[in-house]
Amino acid sequence: MSEFLEYALLGLLSGGVTALVALSFVLIYKGTGVVNFAVGEVMMLGAYLYYAGAVTFGLPPWAAFVIALGVIGLLAVLVERAVLRPLSGQPTVAVLMATIGMASIIHGGVEAVWGGDTYTPPTLLPRTPLLMGDILIPGTVLGNFAVAALLIGGFLAFFRYSRTGIALRATASDPVTASTLGININYAQRLTWVLSGLVGTVAGVLIASSAGLSPLLASAALAVFAAIILGGMDSVLGAIVASLIVGLVEALGAGYLGGKSRDVVPYVVVLAILVVRPYGMFGSRSIERL
Amino acid sequence: MASILRRKLVQSIGAAATLGPFAIGSSQAQAHKGDIVIGAAQPITGVFSFAGVAMNMGLNDYCAWRNSKGGVMGRKLRYVSEDSGFKLDQSVAIFKKIMAAEKPSFFYGESTQWVKAITQDAVAAGTVMTSSTSLASVVADPVNVPQHFVPGPTYPRLHEILMEYIAKTYGANKPRIAYVYADTEFGRDGIPGGKARAQKLGLPIVEEIVTKQAGIDVAPEVAKLRRARPDIIIFQGYILAPMPEFVRQLGEAGLKPQIMGTAWGLDRPAYDALGKLGVNLAGASMYRYGHETDSDMINQMREYLAKNRPDVKSISPFFISSWLSGMVFAAVAESCIKANKPLTLPHMKAALESMKQWDSGGIFGQLADLSGHQVPLGRIYAYDPAKQAMEPASGWIKV
Amino acid sequence: MRTGVFHETFAAEERLWDSATQRRWMAAFALALFTLPLWGSDYMLAMACIVGIHTIATLGLNITTGNAGLISLAHGAFLGVGCYTVAWLGKLGVPFYLTLPAAGLLTAALGVLVGLPSLRVKGIYLAVATLAAHFILTFVFREWEPVTGGVPGTNIPRAQLLGFTFIGDRRNFYLIFVIAFAAAIATRNLARTHIGRAFVAVRERDFSAEILGVRLLTTKLLAFGLGAFYAGVAGGLLGYFYGAITPEYFVLTLSVFYLAAIIVGGLGTVLGSILGALFMTFVPEVLRLVAHASSQWFPGVAGLLLPMGQVVFGALIIGFLVFEPHGLAAIWARVRRAFHLWPFKT
Repeated sequence: MSEFLEYALLGLLSGGVTALVALSFVLIYKGTGVVNFAVGEVMMLGAYLYYAGAVTFGLPPWAAFVIALGVIGLLAVLVERAVLRPLSGQPTVAVLMATIGMASIIHGGVEAVWGGDTYTPPTLLPRTPLLMGDILIPGTVLGNFAVAALLIGGFLAFFRYSRTGIALRATASDPVTASTLGININYAQRLTWVLSGLVGTVAGVLIASSAGLSPLLASAALAVFAAIILGGMDSVLGAIVASLIVGLVEALGAGYLGGKSRDVVPYVVVLAILVVRPYGMFGSRSIERL
Repeated sequence: MASILRRKLVQSIGAAATLGPFAIGSSQAQAHKGDIVIGAAQPITGVFSFAGVAMNMGLNDYCAWRNSKGGVMGRKLRYVSEDSGFKLDQSVAIFKKIMAAEKPSFFYGESTQWVKAITQDAVAAGTVMTSSTSLASVVADPVNVPQHFVPGPTYPRLHEILMEYIAKTYGANKPRIAYVYADTEFGRDGIPGGKARAQKLGLPIVEEIVTKQAGIDVAPEVAKLRRARPDIIIFQGYILAPMPEFVRQLGEAGLKPQIMGTAWGLDRPAYDALGKLGVNLAGASMYRYGHETDSDMINQMREYLAKNRPDVKSISPFFISSWLSGMVFAAVAESCIKANKPLTLPHMKAALESMKQWDSGGIFGQLADLSGHQVPLGRIYAYDPAKQAMEPASGWIKV
Repeated sequence: MRTGVFHETFAAEERLWDSATQRRWMAAFALALFTLPLWGSDYMLAMACIVGIHTIATLGLNITTGNAGLISLAHGAFLGVGCYTVAWLGKLGVPFYLTLPAAGLLTAALGVLVGLPSLRVKGIYLAVATLAAHFILTFVFREWEPVTGGVPGTNIPRAQLLGFTFIGDRRNFYLIFVIAFAAAIATRNLARTHIGRAFVAVRERDFSAEILGVRLLTTKLLAFGLGAFYAGVAGGLLGYFYGAITPEYFVLTLSVFYLAAIIVGGLGTVLGSILGALFMTFVPEVLRLVAHASSQWFPGVAGLLLPMGQVVFGALIIGFLVFEPHGLAAIWARVRRAFHLWPFKT
């Protein structure tokens, strides 16, 4: 029994970081309707920039972290301007391919500059583990979850209570009406991209601190797609809940069926859910106008 | 008006881009006749690039070094390599391209699937001998893959060496052994051999954990491992990650098992990182390390690198592996030239199989027997925290 | 200049190559390709085989995603299904003219299964559902050892016809070339049948198509099934060409490669599929050539240029999407039009 509890807890907690990555994806989908296949690469780039700042330039870790956030924010603005703006009218597959193209560029760029080796970035959080009887929760898992929970809570509050948050939500649900009400759509969409990049960087740094920094980091984001479909692509709450569930299922699978099952168990669950609720648990059914 | 200008500009750039490479390509330098050509498809970019760069350097530097010592019976070695990005399509295309253009006598490839894909063509051509860094048992097969040799023992042999060492060291108190490996060929190939030998020696394997190749989040796997309370953990298939994370999390649970590995998992990134965590890595390696001084060839390697590549701080086993392959290529070529036989597959194979007491200049601690198209030799090394390097912990074991 | 081509019947208008000049050019092209083994180098032949295989797969994806608008990320895995089917049947001694259709049909059935979500979800949800299918299929490739040989992969016995074995690039080239040619003509023909038109109707507005009498269920599933059939056959040919395969070949990057090929080539056109496959296969080759050549004049540039392969790949996709969304086929069509109208300006 304690085994089951341990796997379950570990899964739920690691789902916190998946929730961050899912948040990064859902922010963009909800705000601009773009499917961003480059979330993993942005995450990875943020982590590499943090490493560059902290180790190559010798800055204190917190300063490097803030600088990495800044650079990613700038990059997000650049990408939004240069790539997404010209493609705004195109069919879904075109925009999807554009983000895949972006992902390739970032991946290739990272490999060209830093190579394929694995690095160990300095950790920002303490590593005290939690011991409850037979169950041991490692310090990184706890720390990552705490940061993720704080950040997500902050975002939920931001969207609910702050003017900018409400403006972003308005732009997401109906750009035309939002524009007539005086909200600057361009700024709103740009801000969405910047926020998404920042969240991705945090997730990347968290993962890199525990798993090491290498170009393989980007593949950690693939699990997020299972969570996104499960939760509904345009629901922030759905992304969070679904990430926790996917984390839980993955950990149980890894514990009882072996690590190989991690690749496949979340997707089987996803396909099963799609049969019953095709738009995910919390996703809104899109209304098409003829 | 501007759009027409833009269109013309784009068209001319497009034309130049399409024709340019072919124009450049036709102006390649001519090769010298009589050179012995070694072709290679190296994964300099892509997922295997940390190894590919070292492998490319190893063969390149061996050829340069050998040429500086007079070549092979006066004939120079010429190294032609291209980047394959660890993709099968590209590596096979590179093989065909270099075979057609340069007519190499030797070819170095990047992966097991490459070897399997080109074997039929290589045997049909009958003029080339191949090698690769892969230690997979499926390619050390003189009957089905007659043109290929493995520059070392295969993964199952390495694990057998490890098991023998464990049995001898621990004696009567049989330690609880756990296997942690990656779900790739590098990870899986050696495990059945190791398990079989462990069973024969009566060593209990209490847990077998398989992780994804990327191994990003391993907390549930560590939890499972913790419950088995192993005394020894053998890692296979990882160069660095997730070994430190495993050790850290087990340490938080109060466990400090002996960590062991083989071959590429005993390289500097691994033993440095684990050393920092207070763990002394040990394992079965097939070559001497680059910092050891009792081998003539390793000293030569160090000298050459110090002179020509001063920014290379440590010699990776991938470098040694391809250097060694170059040595075997040169030895086979020398043997054929001495016997006045042309460099065709039957003669080269015969020359390889007659190398039963071959001196590798100290890379292997004993004389190597290549008649089985592999070298089943290995030695146990252990990390010495005082010297911050791997030191020999046993004599050379032959399996 | 295109003159004197007048269509006197509806049938004449529907013809694939409607002018005598076009027919002559097509015949010359086919002849040149047919005789490639006589005048081409080994390297060119090997590349031609690989391009042929990729062309067949790209044609399939273009039917599913280009013509019918259903995004599929599982195409790489479908190739694997075809390859392993051919390996399995080949080891049982089944000849190639039975294994290839069998591989195609099995993959088509799997494609229909993967396409079932398309009846309930659209657009990106469908894409992620196909992504899930891809991961499940690759998991099966790695784990189902008795059939697929697991992680070490499997050998594929070469194709045989009455004692004549298709070993070597020359012989495999004919096998691949004949099938690729047939596939291209079949796809071209598909566009002018009612099925092809139904695909396009579904892509544009599936509600309206349904009102007009197009059966959505059958059409969408057929789109997936046909695309998967092509992928299965291409996978089988891949197996016969390489003689051995491992699951490492069928990764997500392969599906992305095919998506890139159809975008770069041109969505929904046969010429686009061929040009896209050709282009994407040669990009890494050209890059290597440039790196190799420039390293003779500027040593060290190669170190910077080689990892750029991925960057170039991504930049090409974005470049084409922004500047030429209809792909290489549109560029080709523009050039053709210029020739048709010569000496008058476009």
